Amino acid sequence: MITVTINGKKIQLEKPVTILKAASMAGIKIPTLCHHEALESYGGCRLCLVEIEKMPRLQTSCTQYVADGMVVWTETERVVEARKAMLEFLLINHPLDCPYCDKAGECELQDLVVKYGPSTGRFAEGKRTHPESYDDPIIVRNMDRCILCARCVRMCDKVQCASDISITNRSSKSFVEPFSGGRYNCEYCGNCLTVCPVGAIMSRMHKHAYRPWLIEKEVDTVCSFCGVGCSVVLQVRGNSIVRAVPKTGKGLNKGLLCNRGRFGYDYVSSPVRLDSPLIRRDGKLQRATWSEAFIYIAGELKRIKETYGGSSIAGIASGRCTNEDNYVFQKFMRVVLGSNNIDSAAGFAYAPAQKFFERIFGQGVTANSIHGISNSDGILVIGGDPTSVNPVLGLQIRSAHQKNIPVVTIGYMPGLKRFATNRLIPSPFAETALLAALVSELKSKRRLSDEKAAFARDINTIIENIPPVSLNEAGDVCRISPSDINNTVDAISNMTNPSIIIGRDILQRSEGHTNLLLLAALIYLLNGRIYLLSELPNEQGLVDMGCLPDMLPGVRPLAVDSFRRRYDEFFGVEVASEPGMSIVEMIDGANSNKIKALYVMCEDIVFNIPNSRYVKEALSKSELLVVQDIFMTETAQLADVVLPSLSWAEKEGSYTNLERRMQMLKKAVDGKGMEDWQAIAEISRMLGFDMNYRSPKDVMAEIARVSPLHKDIAYDDIVGDGFMWPYKGEPLRHGMSIEGIDIPDAKSLLKISDNDKIYAGMENPLFYSENLSRNSSALSSISPEPYARIGKALATKLSIIDGDYVNISADAGSIELSARVDSDLPENIVLIPNNFGDKGIFNVMNWKINPVIKSFVLDCTEVVIKKIKSAAEEVLA
Amino acid sequence: MEKFLLKNIENPNSADIAEYIKTGGYKALSKALELKPSDIIDEVKRSGLRGRGGAGFPTGMKWAFAAADSKKPKFILCNADEGEPGTFKDRPILEKNPHLLIEGMIISGYALQAEYGYIYLRGEYPEAKDILEDAIKQAHDKGYLGDDVLGKGIRFYLHVHQGAGAYICGEETALIESLEGRRGQPRIKPPFPVNEGFLSKPTVVNNVETLANIPYIMEIGAEAYSKLGSPDCPGPKLYSVSGHVKMPGVYELPMGTTLREIIYTHCGGIRDGKKLKAVIPGGISTPILPPEKIDCPMDFVSMPKHGSMLGSGAVIVFDETVDLVKVCLRAMKFFEHESCGKCTPCREGVGWLRAIIERIYNGSGTEKDIDLLLEVSKNITGKTFCPLGDGAAGVVQGFIKDFRHEFEQHISKQVKAAA
Amino acid sequence: MLNERVVIEINRIKSKYHDAQSSLLPALYVVQREYGWLSPDAVAAVGDVLNVPRTTVKGVATFYSMFRHKPMGRHLIQLCTNVACMIMGAERLVDILKTRYGLEPNSTTDDGRFSLVVMECIGACATAPAMLVDTDFYDNLTEERIADILENYK
Ligand SMILES: Cc1cc2nc3c(=O)[nH]c(=O)nc-3n(C[C@H](O)[C@H](O)[C@H](O)COP(=O)(O)O)c2cc1C
Ligand code: SF4
Ligand code: FES
Repeated sequence: MITVTINGKKIQLEKPVTILKAASMAGIKIPTLCHHEALESYGGCRLCLVEIEKMPRLQTSCTQYVADGMVVWTETERVVEARKAMLEFLLINHPLDCPYCDKAGECELQDLVVKYGPSTGRFAEGKRTHPESYDDPIIVRNMDRCILCARCVRMCDKVQCASDISITNRSSKSFVEPFSGGRYNCEYCGNCLTVCPVGAIMSRMHKHAYRPWLIEKEVDTVCSFCGVGCSVVLQVRGNSIVRAVPKTGKGLNKGLLCNRGRFGYDYVSSPVRLDSPLIRRDGKLQRATWSEAFIYIAGELKRIKETYGGSSIAGIASGRCTNEDNYVFQKFMRVVLGSNNIDSAAGFAYAPAQKFFERIFGQGVTANSIHGISNSDGILVIGGDPTSVNPVLGLQIRSAHQKNIPVVTIGYMPGLKRFATNRLIPSPFAETALLAALVSELKSKRRLSDEKAAFARDINTIIENIPPVSLNEAGDVCRISPSDINNTVDAISNMTNPSIIIGRDILQRSEGHTNLLLLAALIYLLNGRIYLLSELPNEQGLVDMGCLPDMLPGVRPLAVDSFRRRYDEFFGVEVASEPGMSIVEMIDGANSNKIKALYVMCEDIVFNIPNSRYVKEALSKSELLVVQDIFMTETAQLADVVLPSLSWAEKEGSYTNLERRMQMLKKAVDGKGMEDWQAIAEISRMLGFDMNYRSPKDVMAEIARVSPLHKDIAYDDIVGDGFMWPYKGEPLRHGMSIEGIDIPDAKSLLKISDNDKIYAGMENPLFYSENLSRNSSALSSISPEPYARIGKALATKLSIIDGDYVNISADAGSIELSARVDSDLPENIVLIPNNFGDKGIFNVMNWKINPVIKSFVLDCTEVVIKKIKSAAEEVLA
Repeated sequence: MEKFLLKNIENPNSADIAEYIKTGGYKALSKALELKPSDIIDEVKRSGLRGRGGAGFPTGMKWAFAAADSKKPKFILCNADEGEPGTFKDRPILEKNPHLLIEGMIISGYALQAEYGYIYLRGEYPEAKDILEDAIKQAHDKGYLGDDVLGKGIRFYLHVHQGAGAYICGEETALIESLEGRRGQPRIKPPFPVNEGFLSKPTVVNNVETLANIPYIMEIGAEAYSKLGSPDCPGPKLYSVSGHVKMPGVYELPMGTTLREIIYTHCGGIRDGKKLKAVIPGGISTPILPPEKIDCPMDFVSMPKHGSMLGSGAVIVFDETVDLVKVCLRAMKFFEHESCGKCTPCREGVGWLRAIIERIYNGSGTEKDIDLLLEVSKNITGKTFCPLGDGAAGVVQGFIKDFRHEFEQHISKQVKAAA
Repeated sequence: MLNERVVIEINRIKSKYHDAQSSLLPALYVVQREYGWLSPDAVAAVGDVLNVPRTTVKGVATFYSMFRHKPMGRHLIQLCTNVACMIMGAERLVDILKTRYGLEPNSTTDDGRFSLVVMECIGACATAPAMLVDTDFYDNLTEERIADILENYK
């Protein structure tokens, strides 16, 4: 036990901490500028100087650790004089432009000067000046305000691990800047903004728009962009969000955000938000009242159900909607319309993957804490770049790398390039052979356990039966040197409880089901913890709420009679036992006239499903298309009725993130639409089924009664960092039967892709997130140009250099884009993002359905690339 | 006194290993390898050797700390950054007697159980780099370095690492940062390098001259060594003398030789029959002394009692013609340029000091400016991250303490001109 | 960007150290020796070879005063003007370079022959004033001597 006395107050401590920390624990505030709780001590600003008895020099409390018997004084005359001196030094070069500076009111320097500062300046020479910089679309810099505390640089270097800014030069010429000296060209996470104590680096989004003291309320909520579910605070003035900020130490993101979470909120106030129901009349969507819309929808649904039966109706739920919305939606489909045709974008990959792993290992295998990643003894990433799909999760991998934890990446992952101990980039779609080789090698290195649970026997059998693939065979197929694969085998075979992070790309292959099986084998052999990357904030909620064609709320399989009975009893209606169609089957179904009505809740299927032309055609064949959304999406444009819904900041409810943590959305501003669950409840009532919910809280109360998994969850309990799996309910603990899982044959493990062909692949860029980012002027401004990423070898072959324009054509269509050349990308693939309406990949990409797991298959688009204009010509023109 | 550190440097081939061996070189190493590592550390402790880099820290003690830390590998770094203006004492060892340093490093490596040594050599000594690298190669070929030192199954590898023009990299933690390929900014201490130094491993940083003393201690024994020089700071000392003396240069003299003896006995007094005006005794960071104080012995213990410091033992002598305000200004430009920029008082305050002195020197200063200089330097003193900023403030205080009238003259000259 | 020889040399240096970043300063020296200065492209390329972020490399490269961030003349004069050299007449030499060669500190002659950088102490105080021309060392400089010396550098 250590006892220290600070300002006469005795403090007892278990283990040594800095004086600063000890003081703050005792409620004594010591001023700091370079110190920040998210960062390691630096000791540069010298503001936190304190007097320690028996030490002649003042000491910086941010670096000095307490020792037993230490007596510290934090506000003696000597200390105050020293602080005043430090502030005087800082003001030598700091402009006194507080009336103009947006930081005024929350500027740490200003506050300290008010408290301690000199009243007159004695510095007679001119100040260092730097012009205001607008080099970046969403950041404004006034570097003459910089006090060189290096917080931003340390944040960028040690926490974001992007190392995109540095202090350059030295002495009083020290200057914080990015490599270019101008534009940052970084990940634009904006975490540097969080820590800048002065107005040197600020968001451009609210420049001169308001003053911090004008903020009327702060709303603690969850980010609306991806499946990580970072905590974010919305600052509101009037009815608008003026800023989204993280709070240090709060939420699983502990004060970090990515660019989407920090800057993307402006879609909420987009001028093109829908504000009235629309009904198609005379071929055109026209404004209508809510009741007109409801009557229309109810009437049509009734007609179609009566004419063709419930199974002619399909519903698409949304990972951007709350659990409550989704629960009500699936109930509406199953109970009111009598259809199991319920699916969502989770069906593209996330849900099939989870379903497969849960089938083998039991429910909840993917519910692992994101923080566990940097505490595991190894990391294996495959199928997507976590730093762009789930950026804040990605940071865990980077931070693990800093702790010397081995990181193995398989596939093209620019955001982890510097952080991988072993990096394998197989030729396009050839991961199967590589995975099979890894399984073969590990099988001999790791003894299969013979005693574990029943599922162990099953998986052992599977593993035994997987045909062996040698390093050479895999190397040939993947075009990777066998020794590189061997090094990777060595790296992973030393891991005892690694984190295995899986992105959707690995599933969206013709051999997606085989890849899943091989991954399951690897996971088992390595005793790995599974993380599924998730693009939507409530993708897990879709699964848990039963928005799947074959699962009921709580992820109870429809096929099991006893489960279904329970629901029958509860709903008072018999739920059909036939599984419904998956989202991809629905599109085909609409095309073949099996689906007559499609009810789409906040999902832009035209935009989010490849081969947009085909999807449009299919949708236009249906007799009824109802779309609820916040924007006039490509899908909504085809609808018969459009209902405006509320955005994430305008409503309440819960989201479940990829760790299966439930967190609360809080309403920040008023919107013009209706909550999704409410609109559906209205229609349901018209169809003769009363849904008497007054609020999401009532819905959650029902969920807690219906879903065994959510048993006893109370809406009001979901506060702060949320509610962690396994909640209070009963997960299905055992794996289900592995019967019917086919063991792949050697041939399917070693499919060689055609060397001469070039395939289209989907880029998952950090700055995009479907319709939300398209409608965020902040996010769209970062990387506004559509592009195609091309490997160096291919580019050389076609004499394409960065910035040249290329034409990319395939059966589905053709687009013209500027090229970005990247040496890490394999030769026969072009990556194109989907963010750009008619210039996105889905204009050329085609798809199939994987018959085994019903996921998308996207490895089937051959393209032809032609150079059409060089970058130089473009400049001249 | 018989020379040891600068033995044979008049020989044009002194850097050659054959010459070195001919005059008894590498014998100390053989002797040392017969001892247990801990015995060598004890011997160095008993010798009383204090680091010659400026701070005068007992070398044996430093080694013992590092030896006691169980982390592996360990490193021995030679501080050959010699950036303190006025200092050029390490240079003759580096260029003329490199094997003495190498021998010292191998012994220290063995004593510390460190297998890797780096010589952090300032970028401004390009010739020394080639000489050292040649010497290392020779030592390697002769089996003094490498996988099996003198067939004793000991490994020791030595490399030269070139700095690139940053005075602060002479500070040991900044040196380590620089060696790790970073900006040379000092680290927070603790942890000290002996526990977490280069690559977070136990590391000893020693000055060139310090390490060059090790073979001597091995040769004559701690007993005999401790009797040389000052009682509190034994051993020979290299003094580098520059400025207005008749015979400037590097002198190997017993530690504690007085400034007067150095200037008048060894360097032949002030040139051109001029009078002595002032002396900077230990490199530019040490406070300047007036002629009345030159009888103090130049060692780590005596100098502070006379208001200055031994520093690197770099004596800069000024005759009566020198404008000390100009010297002070130049010194301040140096500190401003060399501040690493990490901490507020040094980064901002030293530049401010320079600006005020510049103003005075240019004739636009006022009487108040001298007080402002004292204020500002007081505000820096004791508050900086590392001793560089402190040093700069101390320099200004030193100049004003004994030579305030020179500043006043500049100011009144200006007043006169205006009138 | 970097020629093969330079890359090989950097990789050779890398093997002397326990971690790649430690070889950063020597690697920058190699590049500077080859190209005369550290262009932004070269800085980025060194980062790529050593797997160190390019911005970090820039931060490091600009910390040290002996790295050049713009093209230099064929010969680089580094003249010490610190106290010992100053009191022995270094300032006069700066003036001479200005009047005779039109060479100001931190600039290059119009014909690209010389660049001048004024240095802190180069450890030649006993034989001040002193300078380095490229890597050659000269001391006891006088007006005449400096002119003679520079004649040898074309
Ligand atoms: C600003 C500054 C510059 C220094 N420069 C040098 C130097 O050039 N050479 C040196 O040996 N020590 C220098 N030192 C001292 C080192 O920090 C360190 O104390 C020394 O290398 C330890 O070696 P020693 O124990 O053998 O003296 C410097 C210290 C400071 C604060
Ligand atoms: S005193 Fe501060 S700014 Fe100056 S060199 Fe030391 S750490 Fe750097
Ligand atoms: S907060 Fe301690 S030095 Fe800046």
